[in-house]
Amino acid sequence: MVKALPAEFYQTFLSDAAKERKPSPIRGLYPLEAKPGVISLLAGKPNSTTFPLDGVKLTARDPSSSSPVEIEIGGAQLQEGLQYGPTAGLPCLLEWVYGLQELEHGRKKGEGWRASIGSGSQDLIYKAINAIVNPGEPVLVESPVYAGVLPMFEALHCEMIEVDTDAYGISADSLRKVLENWPASKPKPKVLYTVPYGCNPTGMTATQERREAVLALAREHNFLILEDDPYYYLYYGIGARAPSYFALEAQQPEVGRVLRFDSLSKILSSGIRIGFLCGPEPIMTVIDMHTAVASLQTPSLTQTITYAILNAWGYVGFKKHTESVSQFYREKRDVFESAMKKHLNGLAEWTSPEAGMFIWFKLVLNSPDGEDDSEALVRTKAYERGVLALPGTIFLPNGRKTAYVRAAFSLLPEPDVNEAVKRLRDTILDARQASA
Amino acid sequence: MTLTPIVGQHDAAVNTVQVRVGVNEHLANKTLPAEFYDRYLSRAAKNRQPDPNPASDEIQLELSPQELAVGLQYSLTRGLPDLQEWVYGLQTTSHGREKDEGWSVSIGAGSQDLIYKAVTALVNPGEAVLIEAPVYAGVLPIFQTLDCEMIEVETDAQGIRSDSLRSTLDSWPASKPKPKVLYTVPFGCNPTGMTATLKRRLEVLELSREHGFLILEDDPYYYLYYGTTPRPPSYFDLEKKQPEIGRVVRFDSLSKVLSSGIRLGFVSAPEPIVRAMELHTMMANLQPSSLSQVIALKLLKTWGYAGFRAHTERVSQFYREKRDIFEVALRRHLAGLAEWTTPEAGMFVWFKLLLGTAADGGPAEDSESIIRTKAFEHGVLALPGTVFLPSGRKTAYVRASFSLLPPDEVNEALKRLKVAIIDARDSA
Repeated sequence: MVKALPAEFYQTFLSDAAKERKPSPIRGLYPLEAKPGVISLLAGKPNSTTFPLDGVKLTARDPSSSSPVEIEIGGAQLQEGLQYGPTAGLPCLLEWVYGLQELEHGRKKGEGWRASIGSGSQDLIYKAINAIVNPGEPVLVESPVYAGVLPMFEALHCEMIEVDTDAYGISADSLRKVLENWPASKPKPKVLYTVPYGCNPTGMTATQERREAVLALAREHNFLILEDDPYYYLYYGIGARAPSYFALEAQQPEVGRVLRFDSLSKILSSGIRIGFLCGPEPIMTVIDMHTAVASLQTPSLTQTITYAILNAWGYVGFKKHTESVSQFYREKRDVFESAMKKHLNGLAEWTSPEAGMFIWFKLVLNSPDGEDDSEALVRTKAYERGVLALPGTIFLPNGRKTAYVRAAFSLLPEPDVNEAVKRLRDTILDARQASA
Repeated sequence: MTLTPIVGQHDAAVNTVQVRVGVNEHLANKTLPAEFYDRYLSRAAKNRQPDPNPASDEIQLELSPQELAVGLQYSLTRGLPDLQEWVYGLQTTSHGREKDEGWSVSIGAGSQDLIYKAVTALVNPGEAVLIEAPVYAGVLPIFQTLDCEMIEVETDAQGIRSDSLRSTLDSWPASKPKPKVLYTVPFGCNPTGMTATLKRRLEVLELSREHGFLILEDDPYYYLYYGTTPRPPSYFDLEKKQPEIGRVVRFDSLSKVLSSGIRLGFVSAPEPIVRAMELHTMMANLQPSSLSQVIALKLLKTWGYAGFRAHTERVSQFYREKRDIFEVALRRHLAGLAEWTTPEAGMFVWFKLLLGTAADGGPAEDSESIIRTKAFEHGVLALPGTVFLPSGRKTAYVRASFSLLPPDEVNEALKRLKVAIIDARDSA
């Protein structure tokens, strides 16, 4: 039986903005509606008989067979999807999430955490950061990092403390050093942001050993872990899968330091905008209050459609589907890597990713000043030669120069991959020649 | 040229999506007969040729593989280009506004999402803002989070009190920066149900020029107008006649006409404001759902604007009938016990409970305590008006929604409220 950190523990972790949020006074009256026989004139909901959608039918792939599965959404289920719903998400989808988290991570209800559905995990990460971090505060950010999270910290004028990463994921040593050398007079960072599987952009996956060390440091130095895990189900490494932080923390003396962000964007659909967060109750309450103000709720209809598909598949079907997605990306990785080995031998350095859709590679440009700069190259010579990769500088919290680039191998068909990598080769050779 | 893209896409797990759309049977039974409209239709309307593809009965919509692919993948922050185009067309049809006037549109995850971003884009912490009162309770926390000084602007049966607004601004302390925005819900205001008259709108527009504020026109009930007098034009429409345009930020919602759960709304506003909102969205939630947009767009394009208007007219009639039933019950049970003005749009009635005198000799002005005690005891709940007042002060008003309840429950609810009010008066 896990022991949860008490609610009071989070008082020092909630931001000032979080503490000022108040529950909706209207929602405060809803419990009164539960009294038997009460007729309520409270809710300002439109009458769903005026909504013109009568049914939704969709065909989805059946992960267990080659034939498609027909899913029909009608009646009460559709009505639920067409009407306003609870802030934290539709009960059916939330229940599915609880079931998944127990299966995947061994975490159960009643451990001091709960789940909320979000409009993508981006939505939830943004709200979590706003719930925890005050303007100007320091935050620990693994580096290189998902570029989409940087503006959230920048908007709060955070001091972003970079934590090194390598082929085994986040460097616990680097993190330890940062925290042990922290000036005594300065409040320690409250939060660490990390993408432990197939990190965007590096593609690296943190080993179990590294994760356990980070968890120990979280206890020792009192910070929360924002486990942003959109590629969790896109792991295709040969070794056994490392458990999530959310799973591993159950072995700690107390649980409640991990906020786990899941996304359906790489598995089901990026355009549908569905993600979920599992975190400590006091923080989830603040996040839901933020949602109530900012957009009321994650759309009911997309939740209903999502649930209909997931429910048709069952958890077994869901796993099968994610496995086929992983295999798909592994094959794409293989194609890309083999093109790199063929054309970029000696011209680039990289570590093979075991999850996700990105390769992070260093261009060996042999610049005379020793400072290879991928950005300049991409914007000029690469562009001229008809190939684009993402300059690594945008993934560095402090925006410094780097020789790295990120390539996504998710979309290109094989002939285009070869051509792209060949053009990159020519670009690098050009650059070397120019500087020689 | 090969572009290595930033985001990846797997073969879709979802293959096809079909949507059944129709006039719900229940709604169809309540539709007023065609002849009813004879005295309302203009000569021009009567002379038009019949639409070869009228919106009627049930239609099957199928998303093509391309449409579905778009719905399943990441898309533009401001919304699908085709849906944006549809909005531009709607704003021309409904408000006479054209594309090249310096304004842009953005789709949002409901108009709430867009209002939140617009306020964040326009208001600094601690600044003064003008808010009509009573006001939609869901907008108050947006201003409260920014520690705004919320300046209440009175409203009455003709909507926002432009004279009250004028005196507030005319007597504004010279040393203090004037408010930059006014928030108003001009049709079927939640909670009052009132609709601003043309005269009041013109005066407010005039004041916005004179005193330099922008008008946040939150208009989710625009298409739910069922008044007998001609529909007043929107602020967005009326500002065309001003010497310059670009003071109105207009919010539309599909929540009351298409689906509240689909979460789709759109903003029509000056480009610099839409741009600021776009940057916020890029960080906060990337974009509104592609799939929701694709489904809505399919339906809207199949209907065309004429079909859309026909649908909204049916929806308006539905709510008008509900209003009629509610008002009959109000007159029957609460005559002398409550005061109200008949709404001509939306789904709310705002009525004042006549609770007698308070201990200090003045009128009893606290509907909240009555609701939580006497009304609840007698088995009825209405929303205490205090939640709609920026200052949170006590009021004798309550808001009732007539959107959901069938006639017998409406009767029963108001009967119980009558008993509760009499009980409260007797115990006072």
